[in-house]
Amino acid sequence: MPLGAAHRLAPEALFLDPDHVADAEALKAALDRLAGFSPGVAAETDAASPGFGRVEVHLDGLQRLWGPEPLLVRRMGEALAGILPGPPLAGIGGTRFAAAVAAALAGKAAALTTPSGAASGTASGAASGDVALHAVEPGTDAAFLAPLPAAMLSRDPEVRARLDRFGLRVIGQVAELPRSAVVARFGPEGERLHARARGEETDPFRPYRAPERLTLALPLDPPVSDVEGLRFVLHRLASAFGDQLETRGAATARARLTLELDRSFSAVDVPPSITIDQPLPEPTSEGLAIERLLIARLETSLPRAPVARVELELGDVAPAAGTQLSLFTPQTGRTGRLGWQLARLGLRFGEERVGWMELEDSEATLAEARWRWRRGPGTTPRVPGRGTPVAPGRIPSAASPAPRRGTATSMGRPGSRS
Amino acid sequence: MTRLLREHPSIDVELGSSGEPVAFRWNGRRELIEVCNRWRVEESWWSQPIARDYFKVAGGSWLALLYLDRVDGIWHLERLYD
Amino acid sequence: MTTPPQNVQSALASLRERWGGAAPRWGGEVEGALAVAPRPSPASDPEGLPGGPGVLPASDRAISTGFQALDAILGLGGLPRAATTALHGDGTSGKTTLALQAVAGAQAAGGIAAYLDLAGSLDPVEAAARGVQLDWLVVLTPDSLDEALAMAAMLLQDRTVDLLLLDMQSRLSGGARISTSSLAERFGRLAALARRAGVQLIVLEPPSLPSAMASALTQVAALRLELSRRAWIRLGRDVVGQRTEVRVARDRFGPPGRAAELRILYAEGGLRDACLARRDLLRETAPGAGRLTIAGGSGVAPLGGVAPLTGVAPLGGVAPPGGYRPSVPISAARPAPPHPPAITPVPDDATSPSPLAPPSPSTGSQQGFRAIRGGADRPGRQAVGGRPGPGCEPPGARAGSSAGDAARGGS
Repeated sequence: MPLGAAHRLAPEALFLDPDHVADAEALKAALDRLAGFSPGVAAETDAASPGFGRVEVHLDGLQRLWGPEPLLVRRMGEALAGILPGPPLAGIGGTRFAAAVAAALAGKAAALTTPSGAASGTASGAASGDVALHAVEPGTDAAFLAPLPAAMLSRDPEVRARLDRFGLRVIGQVAELPRSAVVARFGPEGERLHARARGEETDPFRPYRAPERLTLALPLDPPVSDVEGLRFVLHRLASAFGDQLETRGAATARARLTLELDRSFSAVDVPPSITIDQPLPEPTSEGLAIERLLIARLETSLPRAPVARVELELGDVAPAAGTQLSLFTPQTGRTGRLGWQLARLGLRFGEERVGWMELEDSEATLAEARWRWRRGPGTTPRVPGRGTPVAPGRIPSAASPAPRRGTATSMGRPGSRS
Repeated sequence: MTRLLREHPSIDVELGSSGEPVAFRWNGRRELIEVCNRWRVEESWWSQPIARDYFKVAGGSWLALLYLDRVDGIWHLERLYD
Repeated sequence: MTTPPQNVQSALASLRERWGGAAPRWGGEVEGALAVAPRPSPASDPEGLPGGPGVLPASDRAISTGFQALDAILGLGGLPRAATTALHGDGTSGKTTLALQAVAGAQAAGGIAAYLDLAGSLDPVEAAARGVQLDWLVVLTPDSLDEALAMAAMLLQDRTVDLLLLDMQSRLSGGARISTSSLAERFGRLAALARRAGVQLIVLEPPSLPSAMASALTQVAALRLELSRRAWIRLGRDVVGQRTEVRVARDRFGPPGRAAELRILYAEGGLRDACLARRDLLRETAPGAGRLTIAGGSGVAPLGGVAPLTGVAPLGGVAPPGGYRPSVPISAARPAPPHPPAITPVPDDATSPSPLAPPSPSTGSQQGFRAIRGGADRPGRQAVGGRPGPGCEPPGARAGSSAGDAARGGS
């Protein structure tokens, strides 16, 4: 909504500019605090993302440690008191989507507290301490979601409009349709919509881990002017990192190269240092691949003075995730290598020159509306069959009661939509 | 298989007495053509109207798809069959 | 899956004969409410209907072209892997179709392909209809031929793709100036790189190539094919395909000089594609400029009559949101041919040209267009085999019929 429209709606309101940096720091502090309650904590950490502000906590098996769920939620709220600007909204559900919806409804439900903090009834709201809580009984996620507006199934306005055009007003109507019919109308997204409506989990739970940074630096005496010299130094640094990452079973997704320049005999406008930030096509522990990409990037704009110090920093270091190769798509195993080469091509010729074409709506009347480009740094093939990766411990379908997964907690002002 | 000229280059079209294209000029070459199919597309009339008369034409070298953009009156080449 | 009883099998067989892919099938063969007709098998569709022949078996040394008649005259039974193939042809000759079918074949064999789209004309919808898997097709859009060759060299050196298609049609301009000597040398190096890397390199030559360049390509290419269109294939007035002759100009793996004829059909989606399987409805005409007229009929008020066609009477109705206007037949007098024009069926023999019926002389009248409903410029989709759709009747058989024809096409 434009700011002017917001002012007209609420002329006495005070609108503050967002402070993404502060918000991101607050979220990380909250995650660290919540990690003390459960090993499974996840959140969107990109402050610009629409999902920012929602934290998911895995509650399975914690009752013996912390007591009933409402009590646990109250303790979490107390732990977050000094970090968040206001009391959060909490929802408990069998799936992440159900929990998020419950949290959104918690702000609307009347705040009721009981002496023991136990949940009062099947789907009623209850407040635990200062935290407004809405808990969904186990196995009743589908029934809980059924009367709710179908528009809650997706944030995409196009999908919402289509749901409306098809006369699907409530989630229960979507759940009642055959899966194939929903997929036929909505494509791959239809599968997620249908699963959500039926109380089935759609995405695996990926616990948050604070990313590490590794840094190595090497002074150069005498300073190095040519690319070959820099390549030699970079090779040493990248190899050392590669060995370390491999030993730890970790991978990095970003590389940052800082070159400090010796400006003794250079022009006045030469900067003291050059920094290259390079996202990698995919997380890797291969030092050679990192080195080649950085050299390709350097060759596009060589430093104008000799280099006196080289510092290599690897960011977003996390455990290397194993990938399940599809047995039926032979090309799958080569996507990593292809991605690196396309990254180098993009660096040399321009990222807009390299990409993939994908069909958007092959039935569109106009030819230009039927497809789109997929370009950008580190584009890799969209691996067929990998759209929803199979993670270990996947939540079973709603045919058997889904175990409780966690709480969705909204940060920020009460009543804010998660 | 058709080639989709993604930029839909504008072309010069010569019309016959019936108003149908009889030749088009593109990239310095003139191609005599015969119309073998035509249809009309109209969309988005409520917002940004798109109105095109498509002509599938066969010439000496090419089988092609032209269209007249009825909004601005410019002829474009959209496809070449190969 | 249990075998159906004999009487049920007979019933299903007769239904299949009548309705083709749309016939009911025994349970287990088709799943889901949205099952579509299966792809025609290569044996039944050896020629160029979209749907892709990529499932034709590939050998270790060659990729099938998708055309059995063409594979039969090539030394390795297909386009050679780890070698360079040059395709030459003027205008609508079918070389792009052939190249993309080779891409589909390579991908079906587990390969990754790269397309150097110098002409900026790759249509992903058409490519997908030909069996190309877009997920495994890297598309690069170089700005110049120099850039294209540099990209090609990088791809070949790293060996991350199995097939590289260099579309040199340079914005499809016949007058592009190409520096020949250095270009010939670079091509030689590219071809050598492809050989060493085990990558299949396919080059689409521009229609008019300087002779020095052509001879350089001929020398470096292990296989060079020359395509020339021999006839249009028509469904009524509409051109729905072509007959192309392919001549082997050079073949390092077999004797040159042999030729094969291919039938390439353009499916554009919709019910009308079912007509493409009905050879009795298709006829060939000689290619070339000039107007085709149908005998008989009085003059028809031309649409518009003033150039440009801004004065066309609206086709009626208000356009529904998001769609094009449904069309109704033009109410102006339409010619009713006294007898149906002679139809020359397209022969099955792939090598001999068909006798071409010369067009009947025009009386100066114009063919009235039947306003059409249905997808404009639809992408190629599976033709539902065997079932005649509306609009399949021979030209003239439905003269004077009313709207309801969902197929695209003139009569």
